[in-house]
Amino acid sequence: MSEQISRDNLRTLVAGWLAAGKKVVGPVQVKPGMALFAPLRSADALLLDRWVRPSNSIKEVVFPRHEALYGYRIGKNSVELFDAAVFEEQIVIGAHPCDAASLPILDKLFNWDFQDEIYNQRRAGVTVISVACTESDDECFCTSVGLSPSAERGSDAMLLPRADGGFDVRLLSDKARGLFAEAKLAAGSDGQAAYAGPASKFDPAQVGAFAKDHFEDPFWAEHALACVGCGACAYTCPVCHCFDIVDEGNGREGVRARNWDACQYGMFTLHASGHNPRNNQAARQRQRIYHKFYMYPEKFGEILCTGCGNCARNCPEGLGVLPVVTEVSHG
Amino acid sequence: MSETNGFEPKIVAYVCNWCTYLGADLAGTSRLEYPSNVRIIRLPCTGRIDANLVVKAFEIGADAVLVSGCHPGDCHYNAGNYHARRRWILFRELMETIGFDMRRLHFSWISAAEGKKFQQVITEITEKTIALGPYNPYGAEPRVEPLSPMPQAAAGACDPAAELELRTAAKRVLESGQANVVIGYGARGPVFITRPDDVDRLVWNANCHQNLATYLKRKEIRALGKAAIVMKGCDERALIILERESQIARPDLHVIGMACNGMGQPKCAACDTRETRFADEKISSAQPPADMPDRYVAVDQILAMEPADRMAFFTAEFDRCLKCYACRQVCPMCYCERCIADKNRPQAIDTSPHRQGNFAWHIARAMHLAGRCVGCDECTRACPAGIDLRLLNLTLARTAEQQFAYRAGMDPALDPLIGTFSLQDKEEFIR
Repeated sequence: MSEQISRDNLRTLVAGWLAAGKKVVGPVQVKPGMALFAPLRSADALLLDRWVRPSNSIKEVVFPRHEALYGYRIGKNSVELFDAAVFEEQIVIGAHPCDAASLPILDKLFNWDFQDEIYNQRRAGVTVISVACTESDDECFCTSVGLSPSAERGSDAMLLPRADGGFDVRLLSDKARGLFAEAKLAAGSDGQAAYAGPASKFDPAQVGAFAKDHFEDPFWAEHALACVGCGACAYTCPVCHCFDIVDEGNGREGVRARNWDACQYGMFTLHASGHNPRNNQAARQRQRIYHKFYMYPEKFGEILCTGCGNCARNCPEGLGVLPVVTEVSHG
Repeated sequence: MSETNGFEPKIVAYVCNWCTYLGADLAGTSRLEYPSNVRIIRLPCTGRIDANLVVKAFEIGADAVLVSGCHPGDCHYNAGNYHARRRWILFRELMETIGFDMRRLHFSWISAAEGKKFQQVITEITEKTIALGPYNPYGAEPRVEPLSPMPQAAAGACDPAAELELRTAAKRVLESGQANVVIGYGARGPVFITRPDDVDRLVWNANCHQNLATYLKRKEIRALGKAAIVMKGCDERALIILERESQIARPDLHVIGMACNGMGQPKCAACDTRETRFADEKISSAQPPADMPDRYVAVDQILAMEPADRMAFFTAEFDRCLKCYACRQVCPMCYCERCIADKNRPQAIDTSPHRQGNFAWHIARAMHLAGRCVGCDECTRACPAGIDLRLLNLTLARTAEQQFAYRAGMDPALDPLIGTFSLQDKEEFIR
């Protein structure tokens, strides 16, 4: 026995949140063949009818591509600093387990040393309502990184699609229970035919072990030739979190802002002296794999990858984590 | 003040040092009065006035912009104003397509003797701008309804014999030492074959999207030695531009031309370069489609909208931009060692992926590709946010063809569009 909600009732519930002025983020169709997680303008725009893998991730609800950290105003004899970040309650609906799992991973990163207040305040306002996957595509590999099509990590609620078009509802936090308080839930038998997900494609531990003593291996140069050095992989990755700090403004006022940055750019590690410790694309590709499967696990005890496959889907040249690590893992 | 309702427009005038600035000076010393709304910024020559400066002025609150220099024939540097005129023709079309208010963008020739004309031009622009009211180009509500889908060509059938022929050719050039690396397509994407035994990794199918010419600029690929490269007819146009701009030595490159029946991209519907024209060896053959639509039909669709709607449309498009620079990195023409977007002294383009930073980037990118973009549409295909970047490139390609009878990468004998000029370039928009 479990609680259920029909698709129509779920849409009505979402419409109610929107009507109450809440910000709701979910997958929407941007153009033919492309869905993105974006703030909903109406509940009808929410893609609920079929499995869809948006091209981006949900990390933007806690770590926007651009955010003002603080502002400044320059007076005659003074400089005034003021808070510039805006916080709001955000509901994410339609995230997949590979999206939801990114938030606990990012939590560690933004709190291991410096407690990032801006991140934490944003994070506190986020409720994630995930939808379990009923299918996958060639680039999906959640099962290889310890997740599954219905993994609950990072989710406040999990909706499991039923054959009748509705969802079994698992409420996992008080935040979610609050949001669903008004929902028309019905009791019924479990209606989900469990989907096991894609077969496991590689072993992350093997990748880490290979990385440990293959820093200078020609493997990296061979596998990075096609990389053109854009940031499409990192910017659509749920857990890539590098950022740049810029000052924008004029002689009177402005903001200090945090923008996404990506390790695949040639300028990412360029020193003011002109020296660049990662002065070729192979070193940058190696860095991305090392960070995800070797350095991050050493520091935080888990890999920096949720198996969503966005890097591979969005790479214009057919690269991404999966093709490289499967080759490592299979020798 | 009553007739302006207190609105004092800010007008930025970029003027050349030798004519218009002296014209303004003459207006002053002649005691000719003109509105004080104009902020004059003096530059050496109109040829030195980057389109980006105009965008910058609008970004920081200009309600109108004037660009002004020496009359044709009067340029202190002989031809700076002719070069500027050609760029403005292209720039105006781009701004028009995006939906900027063209009533706020002015061009004029004002000589050092024309203090009176300077007074008139400034007065008129000021009055007109007051009538238009304040300008906030980036305040548009993004238009969310998608456009009607662009015509799309189905991917054409690939000749299976062509794949075998390609592998044989690759093996031959590697074994003979004609090339050290064959740049071609593999199962997932580009591959770089250096051993004759590996040529079976090469494929030829309807997923050979990439324009491989982009790899000729990468030092990691250059380090592999002499290259043979697999080219489609559309991609080959990039080689012609790269050679013309001294980026490649064509005799050092072995080009294997693949006839293509279309890769299912929007560009394929109106493709008239199904076969390479200058390849060192050609494989297979292909015919252009029988009923070819106009190649600029997508621009017509955009221009059928009102300017405000165009602005709303592009606002929605650019708002999705992440500044991942996939568009730049996949582009064979973007080979600058340091992109203007990566320069910060001064910061010409905001690095932030916010609205004004995104507009500035996409306008600068399109302008830098004016007369150079060969329409391979790799930028559009690569964009993870699905931005229809081709609309900007097509706009400028259409202007180049209509105004200058120029199509980038079609005729190796033609001088570059930007960097040359004609005394006959149209200037009906210049006062």
